[in-house]
Amino acid sequence: MRGRRVGATLTHLATIVVVTDLADVLPQDALPDAPSPGAMVTVRQVAEGSQRLTVRRSIVQPIEQQLDAGAMVTVWRRHGVGYCATADTSAAGLRQAAGQADHWARVAERHGIFGDLDLHAVLAGMAAPATGHAPAAVEAPMPPRAELIEMLRVECEAMRIDSRIVDRVARLVVTERRQHLWIDGRLQGAQASHVVEPNLEATATDGARSQSRSLGGQYNGFCQQGGFDVVERSGLLGGGRRIAEEALQLLAAPECPSGTMDVLLMPDQMMLQIHESIGHPLELDRILGDERNFAGTSFVTPDMFGHYRYGSPLLNVSFDPHVEHELASYVADDDGEAASRTWLIRDGVLLRPLGGALSRARAAAVGHPLEGNASSRSVGWHRPTLDRMANLNIEPADASFAEMVASTQRGVLMRTNVSWSIDDARNKFQFGCEWGQLIEDGRLTTVVRNPGYRGVSATFWRSLAMVGDAPTLRVLGTPFCGKGEPGQVIRVGHASPACLFRGVEVFGGEA
Amino acid sequence: MSQYAPAASSQVLRALFERVADGVAAQAQPGELLAATLDAESSEFIRFNHARIRQAGRVERAVLRLRLVADTRQATLALTLPGTDAGVDALRAAMRPAMARMRSAIADSEPDPLLDVSREARVAVDDLSSPPFDREAFVDTVVAAAGDADLVGFAAAGPFGRGFCSSVGSRLWHARDGVSFDFSIHLAPDASAGGARKALKAGWTGDASDLAGLHRAVAAARHEAMLLARPVMRLEPGDHRVLLAPRALADLLEMLAWGGFSARSHRTGGSPLARLQRGEASLSPMLTLAEDMEAGFAPPFQSDGYARPRRTVLVEGGRFADWLVSPRTAREFGLASNAASEAEVPESLRVSPGTLPAADGLARLGTGLALGNLWYLNFSDRPACRVTGMSRFASFWVEGGEVVAPVEAMRFDDSLYRALGEHLEALTVESARLPNTDTYEGRGHGGIEAPGALLSSLRFTL
Repeated sequence: MRGRRVGATLTHLATIVVVTDLADVLPQDALPDAPSPGAMVTVRQVAEGSQRLTVRRSIVQPIEQQLDAGAMVTVWRRHGVGYCATADTSAAGLRQAAGQADHWARVAERHGIFGDLDLHAVLAGMAAPATGHAPAAVEAPMPPRAELIEMLRVECEAMRIDSRIVDRVARLVVTERRQHLWIDGRLQGAQASHVVEPNLEATATDGARSQSRSLGGQYNGFCQQGGFDVVERSGLLGGGRRIAEEALQLLAAPECPSGTMDVLLMPDQMMLQIHESIGHPLELDRILGDERNFAGTSFVTPDMFGHYRYGSPLLNVSFDPHVEHELASYVADDDGEAASRTWLIRDGVLLRPLGGALSRARAAAVGHPLEGNASSRSVGWHRPTLDRMANLNIEPADASFAEMVASTQRGVLMRTNVSWSIDDARNKFQFGCEWGQLIEDGRLTTVVRNPGYRGVSATFWRSLAMVGDAPTLRVLGTPFCGKGEPGQVIRVGHASPACLFRGVEVFGGEA
Repeated sequence: MSQYAPAASSQVLRALFERVADGVAAQAQPGELLAATLDAESSEFIRFNHARIRQAGRVERAVLRLRLVADTRQATLALTLPGTDAGVDALRAAMRPAMARMRSAIADSEPDPLLDVSREARVAVDDLSSPPFDREAFVDTVVAAAGDADLVGFAAAGPFGRGFCSSVGSRLWHARDGVSFDFSIHLAPDASAGGARKALKAGWTGDASDLAGLHRAVAAARHEAMLLARPVMRLEPGDHRVLLAPRALADLLEMLAWGGFSARSHRTGGSPLARLQRGEASLSPMLTLAEDMEAGFAPPFQSDGYARPRRTVLVEGGRFADWLVSPRTAREFGLASNAASEAEVPESLRVSPGTLPAADGLARLGTGLALGNLWYLNFSDRPACRVTGMSRFASFWVEGGEVVAPVEAMRFDDSLYRALGEHLEALTVESARLPNTDTYEGRGHGGIEAPGALLSSLRFTL
């Protein structure tokens, strides 16, 4: 099959590459009883399997698989909580874990942060059981593995167009996850997801300079739930040559100019901008101080909700767990709260944080009765839940791409994040992109390399001048959102149209 | 108070490793080679906020990364084992379907020209144990030492180990035990500086029984944090003299290590040190960096089962010395392997110290910034080795060698060819051992040993 186009031959769409049959659903009689009077027990069972297929510099890399299963047992006393994560999911193993968690819950009750907060009331507040599949996960057909490898090999070969292309990578990661949650022996949630992460990456160098171009970012910006349809939407099929050509184009391009000008951010940079300077600052546990030793705090304070002007009136941001194919679509969060769409920012005004039931109860206990969302999530069975982004989206407006370009006298269009850095309060940021193109007198002109910009979250969103229409919107995300102690890397989705910002500090690389 | 079983000892994890090694030997069929890396931990994790427990629990986790080699083909599979005390039968039951999946994957694979795994039968054990962790005693000590201070922190305790074994008889085991407590002391936001936050970072690693040492560390941090009580100063962007604490220098070098020392990264256009290697740029003659296994941070073997060299000098006197070359990269590019890890990232980096006594650091700085930590670094121009990032935690403006005021978080954006090149004035005599406290993929091995550094200039942009 070497060398031929395989896009049209991928016809056997009945075989699911990853089948998570590694763990049976826990039987009712394996679930642990309350280890001591006055305690409640939750058990979250997670099983995840994945395959990573890679062709690099024409060499098919070893197939990498992962099989991971276990259970998080959490004991909730009225004023203290403790957990124990174990992969021994026998009745005896879970009982032992419950004993461990109970002991921690007792220590926490004596020295815990919750004070008089009634944790049992938080658990009791979970709505009716929420079970099902994420919107795109019911059927996730994929071609046989050998055909997928051949597909990657074809695209990797297609990138071999010039001796200056020194690295060529075609990759596909497929992950299937199933999870169940019981609260005091009652099934509260059951759901499944099937995630596909395709990518292409080419690096060109002339010795002195080096430039990389990728399909959706070098850290998998294009990732969705679904089956082979995700690959088809990603642009991977037939995309290899374009990626390599653009890497060469960047290599020959001049540096991005420096100065104050407009920036037109395409969705594969907007996703990072949303993530870092809206998503993280709105996490309620950060606002409550939990992350101050590691991931950081927030410039947002609890008293800002309901009136603070976060951005221009064009800024509308939703928490939407039901967007088909988006990476973090789900039925319920990992504490069992049913998920629904909420507005975080409406017409530029900050309305609510990303806060699960426990954080909301904590905030209310200190005088801030905030609305939130089902955003309490965990990377797997071996980590407790935290307030997290899920699908955090900017809603499209009515500006066409052509109108945004035409309205710009001097600016830079930027695509595809490559560098990101922001302060621990999520305010002073600096981001870089793979691809830049000057906008001069309302027209797209010269391609430039190393485009970057910096700003301050608290003022940047107020410079949002135009929001793209639905045709400019793309459903993207990242599998690599890090946070927490112990650390967790989780999948989040970001859908956004192209957006135009006025008067931004722009810069390029070293000459 | 109910009783609980203390976390498994490092001997329990080693016993698991031995059973795994037996299983690995038994699973391989004629013509196959089966190798495996085991990462096992029996960890107690405690998060503190406002000097109270925010989240506490135990994680028992053992991940076996299997690699099946059949002739010239190979496949890998990372399998979570059914418990850190899983018996022989449970391990066999878990490994059997994993083997079937890998054999199926090999059937879909091609010959791998870069395949390289040790076929030696080496046996070595490096196992440091610690007294059992006492939950109540630890928490009581932290809470008492913190007093009314706003302490935020994270403790990890219990054993964690990494082993390599193969069906040809190799059994290599490296385990550590003890407590690491990474914490910070926070003061009320400074209303006079727009609510600027003020905090000091500290850390303590030690034996679970050394509660007096833990108490002293927290008390010392509280004392140092008193310096933050002064009003925050807002600094304008520009070039400033800088005194980097060892942790801050380590933060810069950890950024540089993201592709910087990797032979594969260099050959594929991604190393920020390519210009150094070509002699087109240089670092300060004071700077010597080595991957030094004698620092003791990391296992003395890598995931292909090869022994790590005692010392690999990467930068010597500011000049390029060597890349980190994994066995796979060596085959791909015709290089000599120095048994680097697969990622070709230093795991036990040692920076040679300098001649400036740390006690003289502020006096030599004169006027400028003293930075304790850097945060959220990234390359802003990789070929130019240009790095951006933020100051974080205790950062002070210094005049005449005296601390004047804490400074609001500042963004820097500068080339390390400048900052650690012509602008490096001195390294301190004293070095700090900074073990890796990362927990993303499980408790991390590795660390860095670094002195403090005095820079004549660092460019701040925001």
